[in-house]
Amino acid sequence: MTSGLALIIFTAGAAAGGLGAILGLGGGVFLVPLLNLGLGFPISVAAAVSLATVIATSSAVTAGKAGKHLMNFRFGMLLEVATAAGSVLGGITAQMLAQRTLQILFGVVTGAVALATVSRVNKRNVIQDATVDPGVLGGRFMDDETGQMVVYRIKRLPLALGASFVAGNVSSLLGIGGGVIKVPVLNAWCGMPLRAAAATSAFMIGVTATGGAVVYYGNGQLHPTAAAAAILGVQLGSWAGLRVSSRLRVKHLKLLLALVLAVVGILMFVRGIR
Amino acid sequence: MKPSDFNLELVIGRVLRTGVLASSACLLLGLLLTPVWPEPARWWLNAGILLLLLTPAARVVVSFAEYVMIRDWFFTAATGIVLLELLAGAVAALLFHRRI
Repeated sequence: MTSGLALIIFTAGAAAGGLGAILGLGGGVFLVPLLNLGLGFPISVAAAVSLATVIATSSAVTAGKAGKHLMNFRFGMLLEVATAAGSVLGGITAQMLAQRTLQILFGVVTGAVALATVSRVNKRNVIQDATVDPGVLGGRFMDDETGQMVVYRIKRLPLALGASFVAGNVSSLLGIGGGVIKVPVLNAWCGMPLRAAAATSAFMIGVTATGGAVVYYGNGQLHPTAAAAAILGVQLGSWAGLRVSSRLRVKHLKLLLALVLAVVGILMFVRGIR
Repeated sequence: MKPSDFNLELVIGRVLRTGVLASSACLLLGLLLTPVWPEPARWWLNAGILLLLLTPAARVVVSFAEYVMIRDWFFTAATGIVLLELLAGAVAALLFHRRI
C-alpha cells in the first residue's frame, strides 16, 4: 500500500470519526461505505478495518468516562455474554457470505436506522423517581442537563440479551459498532435512560468488535497499514467532532443523521443488487 | 453502586487508556516507518493491531479477577463466559489462518 493511499484512508477515517462523534454514533457506518464504495476495498476488509477503529474508539471513550457512573458496567458486562457470542459467529459467517449479500444487508440496516431516527426526533427521556431501588443491574447517575439524580431499573432482561446478540452479530458482519440496534431497544423497552444506554453501549462495543475483528485478522482481512491509518484518523476525527458537537442543536443533528444514513444505505443497497 | 465497582471502573479506565495509547504509538511508528524501512514497519503495525485486540480482552480479564476476589459468582461466570467466547474467536482466527 502506498503512502498516498494510507493518507487517503487516514482522511476518510477522520471524516467518518468526526461525523460519527457529531452525530453520536461510531464512525463505522460511514467508514465501511467510504472504504468499500469509495476506495474499492472488499467489504470484508472494509468491515475488518472499521471494527479495529470501533475497538479504539470504544476503549478511548470508556477510559474518558470511567468513574462518572453513566456507564452501567455490570449490565454491560452481562450483555457482553450475548454480544461477544453474536460477534464471533458474525465474523465466521462473514467469511461465507457473498459481498453483494453483505452490501444489501448493510443497506437495509442503515435504512432501518434512518427511519427509526426520524420517528424518534421529538422523544425525550422521562426522568424517573430518584427513590427507586435500582436493583443489581440498574444504576443511578447525575444528569448534567437537568442537574438531577436519575435512577433506573432494568426491565425485560431476555429482550436486552436477544437484542445484544443480534447487535453483536450485525456488528461484526458489517463492521459497525452495533449501538444503532442496542441503544433504541435498551431505551425503549428495557428501562434505560438514553444517555446511560448510549454510554453503556459505547463501553460494550470494544469487546464486541474484538470478537469479530480477531476472526478477520486471522483470515488476513484486517490489513495492518489500512487499519493503522484508519484508527489514527478516526481518533483525530472524533476528538475534533466532540468539540464541534456541543455547539449544534440536537434536533437538527438527528435529521442530518437520518439523511446521511438514508443516502449511505441506498448507495450500499444499490451496489449490492446491481 | 458498591465502592468496589467504582474502583473497578477506575482500573478498567486505566487499562483501556494504556492499551489504546500503546497501540496507537505502535501504529503511528509503523506508518511513519513504512516508506523508509518496510520490514520493521510491518512488525510495529502488527504489534499495534495485536495490542489493540488485547486491550478489551485485558479489560475482561481484570473484571473477571475482581469478581473472583469479591466472590461475586454471578459476574465471575458472566465475564468468564465472555473470555471463553473471545478465546473461541481466537481459535477460529487460527483455523482460518492455517488455511491461507
